[in-house]
Amino acid sequence: MVFQEGSLVPNLSVTENLFLCHEAEFRRVGILSLRPMRAAARELLAQMKLHSIDVDLPVAEISSAERQMVEIARLLWLSRLYGQENPVLILDEPTTVLADSERETLFEILHELKKRASIIFISHRIQEVLENCDRIVVLKDGKNVTEMPAAESRLLKIEQLMVGHSFAVDRFHQDEEWKQSEKEILRVENLSKAGLFQPLTFTVREGEIVSLIGLVGSGKEALCRCVAGLEKADTGAVILDGRKLPSGSPSAAVRAGIGHIPIDRRSEGLALMMSVAENVNLLVLNRLKTAGFLSPAREKKNAQHWIAECQIKTPSSGTLCANLSGGNQQKTVISKWLSSRVRLLILDHPTRGVDVGAKDELYKIIRRLAKEGIGMLMMCDTLEEDIGLANRMLIMKDGRLVKELASSPRQKPSPQDIISLIV
Amino acid sequence: MGLTHKLKIPPVYITVALLVVVGLAFYLGNPNFLTPYNLNTIISFSAILLMVALGQMCTILVGGIDLSVGGLVSFISVAFILLIKPIGYWAYPACILMGVLAGYTNGLILTRIKIPSFIATLGTGGILTSLAYLVSPRPVNLSPDSYQVVDTVVNGSLLGVSNVLYIGLAVFLLFFAILRFTSTGRNIFYIGSNIKMSWMSGINITRTRNIAFMLSGLGAALVGITMSSIRYGGDPVVGTAYVLNSIAAVVVGGTALTGGTGGVVNTLFGAIFMSMLDNGMNVVGIDQYLQQAILGIMVIIGVTLTFDRTKTPIVK
Repeated sequence: MVFQEGSLVPNLSVTENLFLCHEAEFRRVGILSLRPMRAAARELLAQMKLHSIDVDLPVAEISSAERQMVEIARLLWLSRLYGQENPVLILDEPTTVLADSERETLFEILHELKKRASIIFISHRIQEVLENCDRIVVLKDGKNVTEMPAAESRLLKIEQLMVGHSFAVDRFHQDEEWKQSEKEILRVENLSKAGLFQPLTFTVREGEIVSLIGLVGSGKEALCRCVAGLEKADTGAVILDGRKLPSGSPSAAVRAGIGHIPIDRRSEGLALMMSVAENVNLLVLNRLKTAGFLSPAREKKNAQHWIAECQIKTPSSGTLCANLSGGNQQKTVISKWLSSRVRLLILDHPTRGVDVGAKDELYKIIRRLAKEGIGMLMMCDTLEEDIGLANRMLIMKDGRLVKELASSPRQKPSPQDIISLIV
Repeated sequence: MGLTHKLKIPPVYITVALLVVVGLAFYLGNPNFLTPYNLNTIISFSAILLMVALGQMCTILVGGIDLSVGGLVSFISVAFILLIKPIGYWAYPACILMGVLAGYTNGLILTRIKIPSFIATLGTGGILTSLAYLVSPRPVNLSPDSYQVVDTVVNGSLLGVSNVLYIGLAVFLLFFAILRFTSTGRNIFYIGSNIKMSWMSGINITRTRNIAFMLSGLGAALVGITMSSIRYGGDPVVGTAYVLNSIAAVVVGGTALTGGTGGVVNTLFGAIFMSMLDNGMNVVGIDQYLQQAILGIMVIIGVTLTFDRTKTPIVK
């Protein structure tokens, strides 16, 4: 298996990575012999027509394409070691990190390898799948939707299959419409981060839900991190309520009123071993003081207010967050930001790992917040969620803002429209 | 499996139970263990250990550790005695200030130079130990005409109770108030619990960590002063034992070394437990050479019982 992120040890050399954990094969009288190891490494790479890689370089110093080749070479060697005649290689999104020319080389090698091995190729770039694969399997929501020879398929057909016909807007449908103010809360101007996203400009208005849509790696995550101050942008400005925020300072962003609901609430959103009350009150401790000291009574009152407001199901405000369900943990994170009178919320996959019932409650909370005037920048788990919740959509692809779509309650774009824009 | 996790009882109760069981064992070994005189000794030692342990606890709660307390106690111990001669009572605030400054230095090395506190305080601890030796290579005695300075403060008593206990109690209440009723105290817990979340929520991590280490310096300085007062003299090795004992007291009380959970009450019982163990082993006459081993075993048992390891996949 070749993973999307790569599984080599960056500070070890190519040779060492190739034979990692199997160095015993090169033992001479109990001592590791480096010369045959290097020779074997060269031979292995030569088989794949890779003569340019220096086997003594640390993996961190070779290109990402070369790294991928090294991983494939390692797998081939391992399968030979264990006497596998026709190994199955699984390549998970191997082309996302590659430049165009590197991609060509990869496919050349893969075609060559077909004689010796079977390959499972996972990719979201449908064009390259069509061009290079023999058979295509489309998966959706964990189910095998269809299987067909590549020669018979068309791009459009696959896109449709990926979305599914059973698409239902109802569950996410907005039953109520609210008047959005024209007042702009957030303005992002020419913000860019090298290698992640190109300079882009957009705004979020009061009470507006803006969805950022794009594939993993389209730059939307990095964009949100820059807006929240978690990463320093290279150029451009984040302007909240007319004031420019310093780049790369989460505390300045928080003070200005930018809240961030992280994708991984357990590691980034909550103090799990602390109580619900302590988590909800985190940002407003200064408002819960009497004569300069925290007042337990006022703390409890504030916590209980938000527990009721967001319908957090917890035995008491003193319960540890670790003991709550995913949905209630998420509501706790949201409460934390709401109690601080946040202006703009960044919602990073707010319904990730939350059961269906709690999801609906979260949708309701999100809509109510919008009605109260909080602007939101959102990334969702599914397109349907984006379509249902958003007022406006920003489509990102390869680090660029490619399209802006209105998504008013009566005129929602279809998932097919969006898919064709993002891939 | 941590017992606390299975039975869902707070670690403090486990520590108290352990305290009772071990105390009873010492009593059966030698009935003199429970005489008022001996109990008084244990409590005095607890009060002293408590001061440095509470400071240590703050650094552990923010996910760090302070290995420099030993060197600091030693340094303050000799510095205090030497300072009494020229500046009299001003030696008290001067030493407290030096302790806090030493703690601040530790904090700065951690937060500005970004060196893990384990290494940073190992280094400053060495520097402080050397400083103690440089200032006074040999134990130094207080000249009798200055006895008054220490007798009126540390060695005095009120209503038949030694001032050491009052000082210990005051320090306990101070730490209790800071951790329970101030934002800084709460931030110490947030940071120890989840430093990434704290950073993303805009908590001033640098400042909070600096304060935690300053509190540790404060505790160590107070112990240096107290020790020198009781002995009427400073000793450049007096602090050595406090590094491990303070950490042990914190951890036996149920504060996790990973930070975030624990508190002053835990550390209070942890300090009493460690002092009782130390004293009890002498009272029942356990071989001097064996004592360290038994102490070590008891610490491991204590932590096994109080520390919930089920949610911590990797212990470092």
